Amino acid sequence: MEILNEKAVSDSTRELELYFGPQHQGMVGNFSITLKVEGDRIKEATANPGYLHRGFEKLMEYRNWIQNFPLVCRVNVIEPGSMEMVYSRGVERLAGIEVPERAKYVRSIYLELSRAASHLFGLWAYSNMLGFDTVSNWAMYHRDLILDLFEELTGGRVYHIYIWPGGVRRDFPESFPDRIRETLHEIGGKVPDYNNTFFNNRIFHDRAKGIGTINRAEARNMGGTGQVLRATGMKYDIRKVEPYGAYDEVPWDVPTREDGDAYSRIMVVRDELIESVHMIFKLLDRLPEGSVYNRPANPFKWKIPAGESYVRLESSRGELGLYLVSDGGNRPYRVHFRTPSYPHGLTVLEEALKGESISDVGNIMMSLYVTAPEIDR
Amino acid sequence: MLNEIGKQIEQSFAGVSAETGGEYRLKVEADKESVLSILGFLKNHSYDHLALISCVDRIEAGQLELVYLLNSYMESDDRYGEREKGTIILKTTVSREDPEIGTAIHVFQNAEPYERELHEMFGIDFDGHPRQIPLFLEKDYAIPPFRKDFDTRDYVEKELESIPAVED
Repeated sequence: MEILNEKAVSDSTRELELYFGPQHQGMVGNFSITLKVEGDRIKEATANPGYLHRGFEKLMEYRNWIQNFPLVCRVNVIEPGSMEMVYSRGVERLAGIEVPERAKYVRSIYLELSRAASHLFGLWAYSNMLGFDTVSNWAMYHRDLILDLFEELTGGRVYHIYIWPGGVRRDFPESFPDRIRETLHEIGGKVPDYNNTFFNNRIFHDRAKGIGTINRAEARNMGGTGQVLRATGMKYDIRKVEPYGAYDEVPWDVPTREDGDAYSRIMVVRDELIESVHMIFKLLDRLPEGSVYNRPANPFKWKIPAGESYVRLESSRGELGLYLVSDGGNRPYRVHFRTPSYPHGLTVLEEALKGESISDVGNIMMSLYVTAPEIDR
Repeated sequence: MLNEIGKQIEQSFAGVSAETGGEYRLKVEADKESVLSILGFLKNHSYDHLALISCVDRIEAGQLELVYLLNSYMESDDRYGEREKGTIILKTTVSREDPEIGTAIHVFQNAEPYERELHEMFGIDFDGHPRQIPLFLEKDYAIPPFRKDFDTRDYVEKELESIPAVED
């Protein structure tokens, strides 16, 4: 951290301006915060995004519908699956493309795997920031096991472009569901160890309880979704609110906590990870037979009817939306992603940091589950 | 549910048209003077979640179309109803030459970064916004970069070709 500006407020206190990030253990990627502190208390925080602004939404206006997938994936580097899904659904809604029943299940399984991988990545980042090296290494290893599944399924480990308008690109390989089950059993078998070493650990409790508290009224007024809202007890989850894929076909529950602090948010992440794993087992048991792709005409010659659509889904971080406008041509006229980190990282973060200690900045930011590329786009 | 809200808006405000578009979507078009009061009205009628403020450059019409997307938070903690499924798409237009509209921050706190971004990318002036300073970009552009007459390829060619190659 670097001291930028020093101003004597009175004889006993002085106000400092500190620059936090982008190079810092407690910082999520390319993002920074300017803090105004007195002693070690934060008086005011200003978020500085823009390090990763690549102007994707403008670039997408120059490429045809199918060519945009490589850009769409990279909006959220950590969980590209939900980005593919939201863009595919936007195009499907505009063009009136139907998805076969089996593809809905395959999509949901793939998205839940994606969510699990993303939560493990988040757990890596959070535990690493608190100094739990063992736990962070486990989490990274378990995420890697899921990436192995993605590699077998799609050929890519991080960016897959698996979901596209009309379904998914290819069906599961032979006995792939068994390998998913095997991997999930391996991860699930480690949950007691995660609990003993991290979630029930006194150090985690002491560091996270009562830190960065956002109550429900504040969360609602600031457009909070995802863990920020569920940590205050509201079961707001787009998979339930406006179901898509096969999420209304199997029983599952939305985990919540009550206190709205960093501890509650991270515990919601843990519970969601477990719930996702259970859900994948249920979806695999009910996986119907049939085709996974309704082949539309040559994608490079698509002309999508003029109009606009707004679709939303639950990514691992909260509500992910897409406002898509077509003028009837072979390229989008306007694309705008509503990413969950945008309100969380700009509005909620600035509010949550007020009055907290400098040593908790990383803690609060990681528990808000902010990812920088999603903000900048 | 959405139909009723649409009718209520049409009755309460002048010059407003509301129509349902597709599944669980309500499109409302209003003039820029009444947009803020409609936002307040919708917030009090349970559409209290501002999901996004977006903008579309309608260059042929010489107008910028501002789009407010509103959803509804849950009424009870664990029951899912029809209301939460709905999205209201509230639209208004401002002129491209002199785009100006009042800020919505006093209705929804999270309007702040959205409006800041639209000011930067489309050059819209939000009256009463406390910090209309750059959010993502580093320098000023003659044309706001997300407008349709800003040619990204042309800009890249001019900018990058002025940087000498390593071999030279």
